[in-house]
Amino acid sequence: MSRLNERFTKLYKIGLVITFAYFLLVLFYDIHNLGTDRKRYLSEHYISQGVQETGATNLVASVLYDYRAFDTLGEATMILTAATVLAFLVPITKATMFGTPFKSIVNQTVKLIIPYIAVLGAYLILFGHISPGGGFVGGVVLSIIAILLTLTYSVEFSEYIFKPDQKKFIEDIGAIGFVLLGLLGIFTGSNFLSNGQANFGTGNAGEVFSAGLMPFINLMIGLKVSAGLAIIFNSLIKEK
Amino acid sequence: MEIAYVAVIILFCLGMYTIITKKNLIKIVIGITIVESSLILLLMLVGYKPGGTAPILDKRYEIVVDPITQALALTTIVIGGSVTAVMLAMVIKLHKRYRTLNIDEIRKLRG
Repeated sequence: MSRLNERFTKLYKIGLVITFAYFLLVLFYDIHNLGTDRKRYLSEHYISQGVQETGATNLVASVLYDYRAFDTLGEATMILTAATVLAFLVPITKATMFGTPFKSIVNQTVKLIIPYIAVLGAYLILFGHISPGGGFVGGVVLSIIAILLTLTYSVEFSEYIFKPDQKKFIEDIGAIGFVLLGLLGIFTGSNFLSNGQANFGTGNAGEVFSAGLMPFINLMIGLKVSAGLAIIFNSLIKEK
Repeated sequence: MEIAYVAVIILFCLGMYTIITKKNLIKIVIGITIVESSLILLLMLVGYKPGGTAPILDKRYEIVVDPITQALALTTIVIGGSVTAVMLAMVIKLHKRYRTLNIDEIRKLRG
């Protein structure tokens, strides 16, 4: 009887998911029709005027750091919150997860590729407004350095190279610097986090120092994301 | 184009099925990330135009895909990563306290 009951429960759940799939099919049919027969004025405006208004050739960066920069501030606060919560939740400093050390081939390879990863991360952050990349992607690439050190050597060695206080300090610099760069817009008589609107000098589109405050905001976000993800990974891997 | 929407639906329902039926907490977290990645794929599909290039205007391009949905997808990825990290930390704390990951055996969970 209990086996029959179990089978009925499983069938019930499968039926639930299939009903949900039908509902999603109807919904997506409407979304698809909406996309084809209506003109999108906002994205047309971004595509036709975005380079002149912000000076950044990467339109995703101009949406993220100029038109919707306040959204990005909340998004960056999310990483700060997650790192803080993890640092509080898992406060044990002793780690015995990786007992057996790797062979020297792995250690030497990691030593060899770490400078290249650093150069790639710095390139992605600094050229984020004119080519694919940006603060978030470059920050993730930079945080891979700390993660690789943790995985191949140990948590102790990784925290000897990058001290936890230093990482928290870098993350705070990123968070406070982002807000201060946003306040510059208010001091010049415009809105919070406005960039192209406040005439910070859009420059020639396609150069490194163009698009006003955008390279600096990218740098702040890169510092913040790299330190935050390193803190998150090291907190998760620590165990009694 | 239409087949990709079907792929989104299949991924979403696979994730929901994983969340509903599995008992292991790690598998539930995996289901939530599957649902999230299907939504990222949906955002990409909504902004797609046939024959469009990526929205980086270093030359003159005829058709450019929608940059707003790509920015929203970046937001989704970042927030999803943070939330996954917090969920995994909660799972570690629960395992440390109850010595199991089966949600049927974690009884005294309150508030």
